[in-house]
Amino acid sequence: MKHTLFVIMILCAVLTASARGITVDADNRAAEEVFREIMEQTGKNFVYQADAMCDVKVTVHARKRSLKRVLSDMFSGTDVRYKIRGNDIVLSRRRLRKSPPPAAVRYYMDAEGPRELEEVVVVASRLGASAVETAEIGAKRLSAVDVRRTPSLLGESDVIKTLQFEPGISGGTDGLAGMYVHGGNSDENLYMLDNVPLYQVNHFAGLFSAFNTEIIRNVDFFKSSVPAKYDGRLSSFMDVRTKNGSDTGHHGSGRLGLTSGAFNIGGPIGSRTTYAVALRRSWYDVLSVPMVALVNASNDEEKTRFHYYFMDLNAKVTHRFSRRTAGFVSAYFGDDMLRTGSKDLFVGYYDDDRYDMHWGNLVVQAGMNYILSPSVSAEFTAAYTRYFSKMKHEESIRELSSGNDEVDSSTSVDTRNNINDWIFRADFDWNPRGDMQVRFGAGYTRHSFLPSRTSRRYTFGKDERYSRDSTWAYGANEFNLYIEDDWTIGRHWRLNGGVHASLFNIDGRTHGGISPRLSASYRPSRRWAVKAAFCRTVQYVHQLSQSYLSLPTDQWVPVTGDFKPQTADKVSIGADWQSADDRFSASAEAFYKKMCNLVDYRDDYYLQPPTAMWNSRLTAGSGSARGMDFKFGKNTGKLTGHIAYSLLWADRTFAEKNGGKTFPARFDNRHTINVLLNWQVSDKVQLGAAWTGHSGNRFTLMTQVWDVPNTGMSSFDDYVPLRTNLNNYRLPFYHRLDLSCTMHNSRGYWTFGLYNAYCHINTVAIRLSYNDLGQPVFQKVKLLPVIPSISYTWIF
Amino acid sequence: MDILNKILPFALVLLLTGCYEDFTPDTDSRPVLCLNALVKAGEPITCEVSRTHLYSSVDECGDYSVADATVSIYVNGELKDDSYIASSGDRVRIVAESPMYGSAEAEVTVPEAVPVGDVKVDMEPVSLWKDDVPGYDMLASLSFNLKVEMEVDDPPLVENFYRLFFYYSYPSTEGEGDDGIWDASRPPLMNFNIGTFQYDAEPIFSEHIGVFESVMGGDAYGFTCFSDRQFEGRTYPLHLQFTGISYSVNSELFDEALMDCDMTVELISISRSYYNWANYLWHKDNGPLGDLSDSGLGEALCGYSNVSTGAGVVAAMAASSYKISFADFLKKEIFGE
Repeated sequence: MKHTLFVIMILCAVLTASARGITVDADNRAAEEVFREIMEQTGKNFVYQADAMCDVKVTVHARKRSLKRVLSDMFSGTDVRYKIRGNDIVLSRRRLRKSPPPAAVRYYMDAEGPRELEEVVVVASRLGASAVETAEIGAKRLSAVDVRRTPSLLGESDVIKTLQFEPGISGGTDGLAGMYVHGGNSDENLYMLDNVPLYQVNHFAGLFSAFNTEIIRNVDFFKSSVPAKYDGRLSSFMDVRTKNGSDTGHHGSGRLGLTSGAFNIGGPIGSRTTYAVALRRSWYDVLSVPMVALVNASNDEEKTRFHYYFMDLNAKVTHRFSRRTAGFVSAYFGDDMLRTGSKDLFVGYYDDDRYDMHWGNLVVQAGMNYILSPSVSAEFTAAYTRYFSKMKHEESIRELSSGNDEVDSSTSVDTRNNINDWIFRADFDWNPRGDMQVRFGAGYTRHSFLPSRTSRRYTFGKDERYSRDSTWAYGANEFNLYIEDDWTIGRHWRLNGGVHASLFNIDGRTHGGISPRLSASYRPSRRWAVKAAFCRTVQYVHQLSQSYLSLPTDQWVPVTGDFKPQTADKVSIGADWQSADDRFSASAEAFYKKMCNLVDYRDDYYLQPPTAMWNSRLTAGSGSARGMDFKFGKNTGKLTGHIAYSLLWADRTFAEKNGGKTFPARFDNRHTINVLLNWQVSDKVQLGAAWTGHSGNRFTLMTQVWDVPNTGMSSFDDYVPLRTNLNNYRLPFYHRLDLSCTMHNSRGYWTFGLYNAYCHINTVAIRLSYNDLGQPVFQKVKLLPVIPSISYTWIF
Repeated sequence: MDILNKILPFALVLLLTGCYEDFTPDTDSRPVLCLNALVKAGEPITCEVSRTHLYSSVDECGDYSVADATVSIYVNGELKDDSYIASSGDRVRIVAESPMYGSAEAEVTVPEAVPVGDVKVDMEPVSLWKDDVPGYDMLASLSFNLKVEMEVDDPPLVENFYRLFFYYSYPSTEGEGDDGIWDASRPPLMNFNIGTFQYDAEPIFSEHIGVFESVMGGDAYGFTCFSDRQFEGRTYPLHLQFTGISYSVNSELFDEALMDCDMTVELISISRSYYNWANYLWHKDNGPLGDLSDSGLGEALCGYSNVSTGAGVVAAMAASSYKISFADFLKKEIFGE
């Protein structure tokens, strides 16, 4: 604990260090070029209307000046006005006063680098304004720069791991891209790629998420106030928006890291069309070759196989048909492949064991954006999203003693599960007047679930047996309708109210859900606001997982049988503050969440026959979570970052779990402190530090054991653990510091990283084992010491 | 667990990870009474009453039995004395009480033994070696495979669980020439081995293995318990396969009694608690749940118990059997009769 306090004190001291400056040199240059330089140095976005800056030239000479000073100098003598709102610099020109309100048509410039001007109509990030100005609580907008600046394991920047540093979010198992929001479960987060759900968002058991940072433009995240547009999950909603291609030239980047490489490029095709392509692929299959060779060289009797890779491919084409109409087509393909097994060769015996696993996502969508009138715009989307997994286990045994060289017996088990959604949606954005914005829309989703289909084949000589079971295929229809009004009432009040209605039809039964939403903000001064919100969410599908890892065996299943849709009601109150110069901000939030109709595995669920419906293994129950989140941030200057603290209680109660008694949730982390810092040392060097510390996760520790009964069945152990209350033990306090250093050169930049820099190996579990003397002992299972990383990114 | 053992080393090497630290948790740890009993039809009941203990406590003799415990046996609600012999259909409730550790009780119904139905036996020779050496009556070695199709006539209207068990026997060649067959000074060298039982050959032995366990490499090896949920009230043919059964004999004085080898297959009707216990053992030792639980990557796998304290298993069984003789087959293959 002494070390913990020391680290916090150091980080706090650093946070109060001196301000950072912007260096820019421009003589009558196109304003958009200068914007890009400023964006790269500050991470700020420039927001302005289409074509508004095409003809603007600016002159500015600044060295380590403040953002405000640079902007003032740059726009002096022009008709451009600017306003800094949170992470956005909103621009307008006096001659364009009669244009539609900015909320209706926004043109964003990408904050994260590769030099492009982007266009988004209607459904761009809704979190452009600072937190003080909005009615929402617990909403967060991230840019690719934010994601890239967060130090991470193996140098793989990851949007989910960046969000883990936000208050109210638990990261789950050490090193993995898990997300448990305000005491919720991992399947209660809706992950969207350009507003289309992704069901499997992890690679390599969760070590990396499916979101390639190179293609991210911005990320909207909601955990307390949820816009009426979103529903279908209980805890949070994350919409990752991908970049459009640049319309000024072909630009991109390539990255080589320790575990993966990535390449992206985007540019114009003619004057109205742009493209963007990004590919990321891991190197594990290459890295594992020498390791496998080493392992096999030392063992003549067993030869091991191991081959794993993952990849993500994103592609997007946009076309502007007119000033009022634009369209896009995009696709995402995420793929994991694992092949492993072994060949055992003993005297008179040969065993060839193979495991093939293949899983991933496919998302294809097309959309059209229309500006129907100066105050009304619309987006129409058709999308297909598919999660699939195929797993195969084959084993061939040849007994050479028989004098027969042919395969004597073989076993093959082939399993697949998938979920397919066809989605059709219409979203509208209406600005009836300057202080009001109404969003409404409707959608239809056709779900097809195949939670499990397994076939088994056994051959022995000429005999062959084949069976296929668990053919559970389900179709479901889901209808959604929503309306939301964002209303600024006078100088002090802002309301965001709406409702999301849904119908879920499956097996001849129709479930309905009404999800009212209301957020209110009172702003006594420009600097701060107090807020309150109520939010109900409804969830019709859930994920069954028998491990804490993200594995291809995880199954998404719909609500069926006697189970009802899961619901969560959440009440939040909070406050936001921001300093006069926007350099500092602070927020506080208190919440209470009640969850009903939750599902989980019953006690001893594994004793239920696999041939039975999956529902027979489940039990319904409820849960609650309450707590507080605090965050203090420094948003501009040479040193930026935040300190966040969370206080949380979370529990669950199920009729057939833990004997019906209430038990704490696994990630009932009472205290969590996250510190994230970025220090722009010079024009070329940037340092990052991220420290996290939280009360240990909950763990079921069975301390008592009893004698194995004599039933004639053999057991590896001579003891049996006595059932105890679930999650009865809190693991030791978890803490870790990650560091990164980014060094720019003329072609790109190097990134060096240290995960767990002071090598505090954290406890992830406790097991019953034996010491060197053969005495039974409890052992802490510890993972992840200091792990260095390096990568190089080439920008063109 | 096979696949975890293959995947984890590579993942762990990548993460440069893994260490353990001994410690003593500061949690409340109160022992409770443990009651274990296997009630066999036709036999008196034997109970083991012990107590739970802290896993890390080191007891020299490892004896946690509770000497002052009293045990009461109720059959169909009626208290019985020590002379009680268990019968199929009896509902047996066992209550154990200890002044120090409280009480524990469990109830089980003794299942009906299900007679073995039709049995088809097929033996297939794989290899035969014979030699004529002066002074030896017999030098031979035979390897063969065995297929048994054994019908289980499941009684209707009741939930049944089964365990298949087999053992084999062959003539003893030790001592003073059993039954005076051979000269004790020149005993024959003889060996009989039942070879490898192919658990995968009978799908019913895998019925407890779900998709997750299967993909993670779990197989039916060593597991021969099954339920009637797929053939309730009907007849099910069990496919039993043995490979590499070997018989060899090296005898100066040969007697055909040396070929009196046989195997007994038992069809044991077991109680649900017995089946659940076997299922738990499989998941702990052969399925992925045990490994995931140990590494903190899955929910804890608590020991199965049907005793009120959560410690112990009271199970019941009734067996019927079928004997397969190999003598005729051995004679035919070795002597060509």
